[in-house]
Amino acid sequence: MKLPLSWLTELVDLDLPLDDLVSLMSLSGLEVEDVTTPGAGAAGIRTARVLHFEPHPDADSLRVVRVTGEGGDGEVEVVCGASNFDVGDVVAHALPGGHVPGVTGPDGGRGMTLEARTIRGVTSQGMLASPRELELGDDHAGILVLADDTPLGASLDDLIPVGDPVIEIAVQADRGDHLSILGVARDLAAILDTTWRAPEVPAAPSGPSLPVTLETDGCSAFHTWVLEDVAIGGSPLWLRQRLAQSGMRPIDVAVDVTNLVMLELGQPLHAFDLDQVRGPAMTVRDAVGGEQLTTLDGQKRELVTGDLVIDDAERPVSLAGVMGGLDTEVSPATARILLEAAVWEPTTIRRTSRRLGLSSEASQRFERGVDPQGAARAVARAAGLLTDLAGVTATGSGAQLADPQPDWAQRPTVTLDTARVRRTLAMDLTDDDQAGLLARSGAQVGGGDGRLEVTPPSWRRDLTRPADLTEEIIRLYGYDRVPDRLPALPTTGGLTPAQRLEREARQLALAAGFHEAKTRPFVGDDALAGVVPSPGRVRLANPLAQDAAAMRPSLIEGLLQAVRRNHGQGRPGVALAELGRCFRPVEDPLAQVLDAVLADVPDADWRWTDPDGGAIPVQPRVLAVAAAGLKLGEGWLEVDESWSVHDVVDVLDRVARHLAPPDDPDWALERVATERDGYHPGRTAVLRLRGQEVGIVGQLHPDESDRRDLPETVVVGELVLEPLLSAVPEDGYPPVSAPTLVKHPAVTVDVALVADEGVAYATLERAVREGAGHLLDELWWFDEYRGEQLGEGRRSVAMRLRLQAADRQLTDADAEAVIDQVEAAAADIGAALRR
Amino acid sequence: MSDLEALQHEALTAVDAADSLDELDRVRVRFTGKRSQLAVLQKGMRELSPEERRARGQALNAFRDAFQAAYDTRYQQLQAEALRSRLEAERLDLTLPPRRLPPGRPHLLTQVEQEMLEVFIGMGYRVAEGPEAEAGSYNFDLLNIEPDHPARQEMDTIYVDGFDDVVLRTHTSPVQARVMTTSPPPIAVVCPGWTFRADAVDATHSPVFSQVEGLYVDEQVTMADLRGTLLAFARAMFGHDRDIRLRPSFFPFTEPSAEVDVSFHGPGGNHGWLEILGAGMVDPNVLDACGIDPERYSGFAFGIGIERVAMLRHDVGDIRELFEADARFLARF
Repeated sequence: MKLPLSWLTELVDLDLPLDDLVSLMSLSGLEVEDVTTPGAGAAGIRTARVLHFEPHPDADSLRVVRVTGEGGDGEVEVVCGASNFDVGDVVAHALPGGHVPGVTGPDGGRGMTLEARTIRGVTSQGMLASPRELELGDDHAGILVLADDTPLGASLDDLIPVGDPVIEIAVQADRGDHLSILGVARDLAAILDTTWRAPEVPAAPSGPSLPVTLETDGCSAFHTWVLEDVAIGGSPLWLRQRLAQSGMRPIDVAVDVTNLVMLELGQPLHAFDLDQVRGPAMTVRDAVGGEQLTTLDGQKRELVTGDLVIDDAERPVSLAGVMGGLDTEVSPATARILLEAAVWEPTTIRRTSRRLGLSSEASQRFERGVDPQGAARAVARAAGLLTDLAGVTATGSGAQLADPQPDWAQRPTVTLDTARVRRTLAMDLTDDDQAGLLARSGAQVGGGDGRLEVTPPSWRRDLTRPADLTEEIIRLYGYDRVPDRLPALPTTGGLTPAQRLEREARQLALAAGFHEAKTRPFVGDDALAGVVPSPGRVRLANPLAQDAAAMRPSLIEGLLQAVRRNHGQGRPGVALAELGRCFRPVEDPLAQVLDAVLADVPDADWRWTDPDGGAIPVQPRVLAVAAAGLKLGEGWLEVDESWSVHDVVDVLDRVARHLAPPDDPDWALERVATERDGYHPGRTAVLRLRGQEVGIVGQLHPDESDRRDLPETVVVGELVLEPLLSAVPEDGYPPVSAPTLVKHPAVTVDVALVADEGVAYATLERAVREGAGHLLDELWWFDEYRGEQLGEGRRSVAMRLRLQAADRQLTDADAEAVIDQVEAAAADIGAALRR
Repeated sequence: MSDLEALQHEALTAVDAADSLDELDRVRVRFTGKRSQLAVLQKGMRELSPEERRARGQALNAFRDAFQAAYDTRYQQLQAEALRSRLEAERLDLTLPPRRLPPGRPHLLTQVEQEMLEVFIGMGYRVAEGPEAEAGSYNFDLLNIEPDHPARQEMDTIYVDGFDDVVLRTHTSPVQARVMTTSPPPIAVVCPGWTFRADAVDATHSPVFSQVEGLYVDEQVTMADLRGTLLAFARAMFGHDRDIRLRPSFFPFTEPSAEVDVSFHGPGGNHGWLEILGAGMVDPNVLDACGIDPERYSGFAFGIGIERVAMLRHDVGDIRELFEADARFLARF
């Protein structure tokens, strides 16, 4: 809401410098967004009458114009590019030496100082200015043409306050009363403890208006005035300035006055051409679905049940509270006007406006609620202005009021417990203090003995409960006078065991050399699938872009795009990790996987629901990594070492081990080779937890890398942390017990197993562990070998075993026995011990 | 005996002249080995008289001792020299960059979020979390934002398709609603996480951003408690000399509501206030809707934009940099 200072001061006594006013407003709930001074700097601009014009002898688009000179006498010649004026019009003439603020000067800055200039052989003594050049609006299609009775030779700043400051405030959602000059003036009076006044209005004429029938609960008051002897012309300069300062375009005096009164009093008005209103009679009613109405903007609108509509005797003529109808619009030919000011139910207007995507100045005010007592004053104010400015005669008036008044238009009395206010604010505000502050807001305050009976004024729809009054008291008293006290909380703070583990998962990924990225969680249709691929998407009803139409089903796509950006920067290598949620439909296969992993875990409730237990999209927490190129140190790179899929396996395996229940083989992560679209067929594995796929690691297929303009070797991985985190008991896992440190020396044995390539290392290791039995203390993989003597398609895998017994020193015979057992176990899986 | 003296002189000179351990060993063999003159003299002792034999024995021992002493000294010198030259050859330039893969860095937003959480954890808060695609009832209804409330439109909500009323949460307040509907007071939680608005991406807007919201509900919670808590927070995050300022505002879920500014003192006497968060006393309607008796309990709530704090503290000029994952940016913090 834009507030011209000169307008504000008409309605409230302000006796403080602008800077102080602005700062006080911001500290009192009138948040100032900007202060501008449109027109500031305008100088040497005076009114003049056009005496004569003719085409420029040497330029078709220009006119040579003679206007009255200084003091209204004599003649001055000016060249002008506009053609929206005629002989006799009063215009704004900027003299040589004068300053025009609304043009870009020769130095590129704001404004330009004029000098007499010869344009194609004709010397122009200054210029005739457009509204935009004077910063009196955006209009630059023609020059400013003023009302006929404007005095001639007058300086612009004698006619209007040139450069009058305009304070723009952000209006809070609950303060519809701030959408008017009067409303802000009243609030400033409350804040400053000073006085405000509403503009004077004429008494309602006693003649009849047209008959109006209220057939809806959505209208509590409907005021009409009949104006005759109407001659629609332009508006005077002061009115045009006010509209321009408020960001509105001047149209004609009838429309301008209704807009001015709306800005001034906050009550939207509508002017009907009374001769186009059939009957003449009006009915205010609820719309029936299927009706049509063409609104002022020329759009044909389909009405639905729930809209409010105004009919004349035959047809709808206005979409109530939102926009008037085209058929009854005021035009230059209008002779009689019906002015209407009504009070509409906010929710209805809001729904209609939202449904039609039609937010007007009127609907914005009605949907926040107008002052139910203000409609009568507004229609009288507009009639009075039109009497003064357009010479109309007010001949009749009428008022239809809903009786009894609907609840939403009533201001209930609120009982305020003053001790509770003191307690909430932790301040010693006496009952009298509180009553006094509320009275400043215009409330009627009665009662006593610790209980105030407060009836807020009709324009304060936001004051309905003790909490609202508490805020009003401290707002006027000053938020900055609230003391500060750090409360001693009766609770213990901290992270839960699961929250700590989640942080540790991040730390493990970082320790492995991956930087943490945060990517926007939206994807388009083209996204590489990650863990448990499914076509299911959580789609957005109103996405910002087509390539961001769904929530990410996997974190891999976002990381790949980030890798691409870093690669595009010419970075030799990059490794990124992200911890966040992925999103899947309720019945997605991934959801079933997580249910299965957690099936036997008590209280591991990983799905979120609405308050009634209804399902919402599943959104498990996920850790994903992606890397490409060389491993980079600080100021150093290892030209022989690139990020490989082993690094991805390593980090996800480490995280899974760290988060899983300690020493529980049932929760060990299993890797199984797989083939997936977009992935290298020989370098991709799924990660399984309790038999279910909870992750994927792999290298991109070269075609996929190529398609994305990435280097060939890009490795990615994704692990759903949700089952691991959801399984953590409330108090965490039991503490890990210390190991028994055996004092007897250990024996080290190396074994090598030869098997077909297809036999996974995991299978071989399982056999070795089984064979080695209880003497096995530790096992390390250390070599892999392929060669002629093994035969085509076979490989040898070597492991070092550390054997130890708690109760004795082991002998060569023990080692031999272990090797024999390993050989036997290997034979069971088709592997041979290499002697 | 002058022969022996001459020999000794020659031997000791040779020991001193040896310039490597190998050469020294050759000198040892030449003067004390089986074919050395010493061995010959030793052998010849049999032919001498007992007195001469004793005298020569003494002389030979003296020679041996002198040689051994010289040898040992030279040996140690040469060994020390050999070690020194090996170590010299092993010299490393330790101003080379350290050769290791450095750990990755946590994202700036993670660091700031954790720092903020630590402040509140220290005061006695626990951390609560909730879903990002959230039921409208938690995001709006239980927070006193009815379906037609203008605030719903003003929040530029992104809606999820295919559900009756599921949105990308516009704030982390729904987590507060989840906590209040499931646990009795006293409640002290902070709720970090992603939030979403239908804002086009530019230097100051992002459709996804993150918040830390806080909630304290108990008997007799006052606005002074709120102010004290936020003052302590602002000082912990921005410096002990900071102040805060409360300005009236409107949020559907708090009443009274406030925007909170923190003071700053820039260079050249440039000082003023920067808005950092919104806060207020929990609206009685919210307590009531969440099953907490507003007559008995009161509370305060606040919401802080993590991006805003991060950008202010670390001079990040463009919010997009937080989400582009440029490694130069990530590694910086």
